[in-house]
Amino acid sequence: MKKFRLILSVLFILPLIFVSVVSADEHDEDADTPPIGFWEECETPQNLPDELTIGAIFGLSEAVAVYGIAQRQAVELAVAEVNAWGYLGEGVTLRVQFEDSAGNAQQAIAAMEKLVVEDGVLAVLGPTLSTEAFAADPIAQENGTVVMGVSNTAIGITDMGDFVFRNSLPEEAVIPGTVEQAIDALGLERVGVMYGDDDDFTISGFDVFVDALDDNEIEILSVETFARGDRDFSSQLTSLIARNPDALVVSALAAEAVQIIIQAREFGYDGPIIGGNGFNSPAVLDQSGEDAEGVIVGAAWNIGDPDPEPSSEAFQQAFVEEYGVAPDQFAAQAYTGAWLFATAIRCADSDDRADIRDALAAIEDFPSPLGLYSFDENRDPVHDPIAQIVFEGAFLPLASVIEGAAESDE
Amino acid sequence: MDFLIEAILSVVRPIGITEPVLQFMLVNAILGISMYLLLRTGMFSLANAGFMAIGAYVSVLLTKELDFALGAALVVAVIVCALIALPIGLPVLRLRDIYLAIATIGFGEVVRIFFLNVDNMILSYLNTFQDAGLRRYELVGGGRGVRNVERLTETWHLIVFLIVIIFLLTRLQRSRFGRAMVAVRQDERVAANMGINVVYVKNMVFVLSAMLAGAAGVFNGHLTRIVTPEMFGFDRAVDILAYAVLGGTSVWAGPIVGGFVLTALPEVLRRFNEYRGVFNGLVLLLVIVYLPGGLINPQGWRKLWASARRRLTGQPAQPEAGGG
Repeated sequence: MKKFRLILSVLFILPLIFVSVVSADEHDEDADTPPIGFWEECETPQNLPDELTIGAIFGLSEAVAVYGIAQRQAVELAVAEVNAWGYLGEGVTLRVQFEDSAGNAQQAIAAMEKLVVEDGVLAVLGPTLSTEAFAADPIAQENGTVVMGVSNTAIGITDMGDFVFRNSLPEEAVIPGTVEQAIDALGLERVGVMYGDDDDFTISGFDVFVDALDDNEIEILSVETFARGDRDFSSQLTSLIARNPDALVVSALAAEAVQIIIQAREFGYDGPIIGGNGFNSPAVLDQSGEDAEGVIVGAAWNIGDPDPEPSSEAFQQAFVEEYGVAPDQFAAQAYTGAWLFATAIRCADSDDRADIRDALAAIEDFPSPLGLYSFDENRDPVHDPIAQIVFEGAFLPLASVIEGAAESDE
Repeated sequence: MDFLIEAILSVVRPIGITEPVLQFMLVNAILGISMYLLLRTGMFSLANAGFMAIGAYVSVLLTKELDFALGAALVVAVIVCALIALPIGLPVLRLRDIYLAIATIGFGEVVRIFFLNVDNMILSYLNTFQDAGLRRYELVGGGRGVRNVERLTETWHLIVFLIVIIFLLTRLQRSRFGRAMVAVRQDERVAANMGINVVYVKNMVFVLSAMLAGAAGVFNGHLTRIVTPEMFGFDRAVDILAYAVLGGTSVWAGPIVGGFVLTALPEVLRRFNEYRGVFNGLVLLLVIVYLPGGLINPQGWRKLWASARRRLTGQPAQPEAGGG
């Protein structure tokens, strides 16, 4: 009997060992080809100097630091990976020179001049705000240096010249799909609209919302405005909710979005709230808690995608490990931006600014956290946006939640 | 002139002052002078960010939409500022001290919010009275601002402008009007009794100051290539005040140095990365504590020097000094 047990246990354990050995092998293979990067599409570069420097202009102080700090963390993470994995070849180190613009056009200009003219960096990420980009990007253009916005969503950014890129999906690429899906799913007819009228991001969002609502023949009951930094939205919300809308459509940044969600629920409104890119942040979920249920967000990057790109998952894990907080869309875009630069340098196999520009423009179907990523002929991003809904405390794709609800009804 | 600018830049570039920084230093020096005029007459006004906005918007629209040359746009914008300053000044300057400050903050906010909403105002006018049936009307772009402004301001424009202003300022201070300004600051009633037309002096200075702030706005708008209402909020009003106060208001060089230092300091301190803000604050704090009259204040430096000498030589050798 004892022998039988021994044999049995050996029989049980052997396959386990075998399986674990095999899976360890598989794991090693995974580690050999990192989840992100053109490892096969472009050969390991041979002609690069030992140290390469790119610049980054982010708002690291003042109010804009909310976004700028996350952007810097994401870029640092990406560059650490690029160096650790030898993406640019053995012994080649990529450095990032960070400059603070404090959300101020004058400082952004000074920072751009310093990076492009004085420090002679290969390419520049940023600046954080569209206003800063309109002020500073022409300097990069005049000096033939690539500048890539990772959070500029305003219309006209890439019209400044052929060295101006961005990887942040503008609102007009995100919102129409979201609105359409939401209308299909929820049968909306009358909505109330609210937007911040002193910020490029929120105005762009509002314009696109209005166009999308018009296209779908949705009645706009009323339009209310607020300003950046507002804390009390009761008068706007009272007026909108009194008209009994099927949904509230809100174009706001994260800080205002949280208050709008909480206060709308306080006024007894429990219908859907549709928002733009600004709502797509773990902070919005954390701070508004249960009130966020039913918030619909169109976004360039989905935190809770159940079927994510491997690189998206790896990015989230690495970010949480490194910084202890979940990344938001700004971080995902900054991370992708740094990887795009590294890829352009790898594919160009050159430290010439013009070569890097051409290689960057030629990048196609790059497997980034944002999805398969390409630039269009205007150097604007091409990748699929996603409509998501807050369901049981997490962002989920709207389509899957609606399907799930339909199935449970049956 | 180009040679001179190159020479200046080659000296200051190593410490982090590039040409754009130099340009903003010059613009802010003009703003400092506009504040200096007010403080010298005893008027604590925070309206100059508003006038700067008016100058910037008017000139940018002229150069962008009507193809004006920068010089012509400058003249028109400055005249517009003067015409707006006059009716504002007449009632508002009856207020004094903190009440004047609050009223002028109000003016700055009105200007900012006007530019934020002027497109919608025109739109609703067109739709109501002319039945235009428009969905959108874009003149100044609301919160988005006027973009893709040509960078027309050259460094030498600013240097020449500043030199002319300094020349006029030194002339002004020695004139009857300049002395009247000081008299009004020291005591309005006494000045009035001595036959100075206080209302005239105050309004004249307010208008001159508004014109200078407007000119700075013109130059600034054609440097940053984008003009948004947010650039001219309360923060900017306080910055302008700080140029004059930090530099000192006893001589005309004070606000110029104040504007230079406050603009250059954050750029020079870039090498400290995240400690930049700390060092910036520390420098300002030290100046305020040890030189309350501002950086360019001969009396303040003399006092500081005297107390430093007392401490250095006086303390260890106190008995000797007492004996001598």
